[in-house]
Amino acid sequence: MNAPAATQHRAFSPSRIAAIASNTLLELIRLKVFYFLLIFALLIIGCSFFLVNLSFQEQFQVLKDVSLGAMSIFTWLLAVLATAMLLPKDIEDRTLYTILAKPVPRLEYLLGKLLGVLALLFVAISLMSVMFVLVLYIREQAAIHVATRSMAPAELAGEIASIRASTFTVSLIPCIVIIYLKAALCGALTLLLSTFASSSIFTIIVSVVVYLIGHVQPIAREYWLATNDAGAGTKIFLALISLIFPDLTAFNLVDDVVAGNAIALGLFLKTAALGVTYIVVYYLAAYFAFSAKEL
Amino acid sequence: MSTPAISIENLTKEFPIPFKRERVTAVRDLSLRVEPGQVYGLLGPNGSGKSTTMKIVLGLVSPTRGRTEIFGRDSTRVESREDVGFLPENPYFYKFLTGAETLHFFGKLCGLSGKKLRDRTKELLALVRLEDAAHRRIGGYSKGMLQRIGLAQAMIQEPRLLVLDEPTAGVDPAGSREIRDLILDFKKRGITVLLCSHLLGQVQEICDRIGILHQGLLVREGRLDELISIENQTELILENASPELLADLQAAVAKSTARVVEQRRPQTTLERYFLEVTSDEKKVKGDP
Repeated sequence: MNAPAATQHRAFSPSRIAAIASNTLLELIRLKVFYFLLIFALLIIGCSFFLVNLSFQEQFQVLKDVSLGAMSIFTWLLAVLATAMLLPKDIEDRTLYTILAKPVPRLEYLLGKLLGVLALLFVAISLMSVMFVLVLYIREQAAIHVATRSMAPAELAGEIASIRASTFTVSLIPCIVIIYLKAALCGALTLLLSTFASSSIFTIIVSVVVYLIGHVQPIAREYWLATNDAGAGTKIFLALISLIFPDLTAFNLVDDVVAGNAIALGLFLKTAALGVTYIVVYYLAAYFAFSAKEL
Repeated sequence: MSTPAISIENLTKEFPIPFKRERVTAVRDLSLRVEPGQVYGLLGPNGSGKSTTMKIVLGLVSPTRGRTEIFGRDSTRVESREDVGFLPENPYFYKFLTGAETLHFFGKLCGLSGKKLRDRTKELLALVRLEDAAHRRIGGYSKGMLQRIGLAQAMIQEPRLLVLDEPTAGVDPAGSREIRDLILDFKKRGITVLLCSHLLGQVQEICDRIGILHQGLLVREGRLDELISIENQTELILENASPELLADLQAAVAKSTARVVEQRRPQTTLERYFLEVTSDEKKVKGDP
């Protein structure tokens, strides 16, 4: 009997990447990572009950502060914890051998894993945004109801307009997008660390340390430069540190949104571009580390 | 001469030892060819370099020196794996996927999709007799079922070469026989098989050629029947031979330069005997 015919190879296959990405998303969902969304829901609902003694503007500010802050923390945690175990689990279970024994380039395998995590973060942040918007809408309606009962008709229209202007501002959308990009950046960094780390715990600890450094290093750098005479060598060193460890404070637009400030389009695009650039750079670095890894 | 299924030329693999200058040599100057359609047994004790050789052939590990090719394609290149199906030792798949989903996933990795993938999945599940367990999660599969789904995923893209690492390890005799029969079926279909196994009895039944590795060196290589036959002895099996005929034969041998080394009744194998006993339902129910 004749053996099967030789098969043509496709050098780059979006369908292979999509298969790995969707499998990764399914794996993470079946790990029931979304249970944490219950905690988020309880947090923002619980928070809204303690706000009744504040003015409506203060209520909306606190609600936005707590919700967006919790979104930022939860998506970052999800990014780090979900990504940290992906590669080590595949290596330990030897599933990686079976996958890479198929005509799957390591570039596509890693990209599929990253896209799976980004898809998970997108689903998580979408669900959290829906919950947040729902709670905000309920508070808005409650404030309108109170105003309707207590204010004179002549002042009511202005008061309702003021309430609505305080709740749903256009800045909410870019703020949530930047929160997503910050978490995605942390996920890409965690993927890079996991390509050469010896264990998931090590990856998680280093990711947490880098997260802290990312929030502290701009302040520390400015303070050092202001209080010391820095030579060229020191300045280059500090510049390298600021490149390797991303300035995560640049992704914090929550304070502006809470204060009711508009986020300029230029600032949003610059921040988004920074996030995307870091994701791409970390992914490429992860690929170079992984391509040389002996299995 | 046709393109060999596997060509290994002067393959050496050294692993560095952390914080030391010395290196561990897992494979030393190995050269061998596996022709298309053969079942080739790569044997050796633990640590002899079989797994390292297999991983290099599959492109999972890069060689220190030498070259490996699959059907003429350098095995360090991804395209060489278009023609390869691999079943690792103690296969592990994503526990959260069902059997059918597992085949779907690996099929997509090999470029299959749509109806072709669905039909192929159905065909392979029938081949490995897992249709009833197709929608059960892999986490609930027995060892034998894992090996069978592993064989199915190795076959998903109709490869020309199968690399099987201990395909029957830990499997009961009935399951082991099924897997062995599948391998013989693959051979009939013209698929080349590279087999690593410690179960030498099975290797003897299936393989055409073998290579024996020891401490990274290929110490023996060739056709199985030539390697294990005892050159100056002949086996003659008779049925319904009378004692007189046996006596005449003994007398004829005594007159020549040959000698009778052993005279005994041939035996069935313990495996065949076990399968006869355990597959006989009447006996299990207590019927004679």
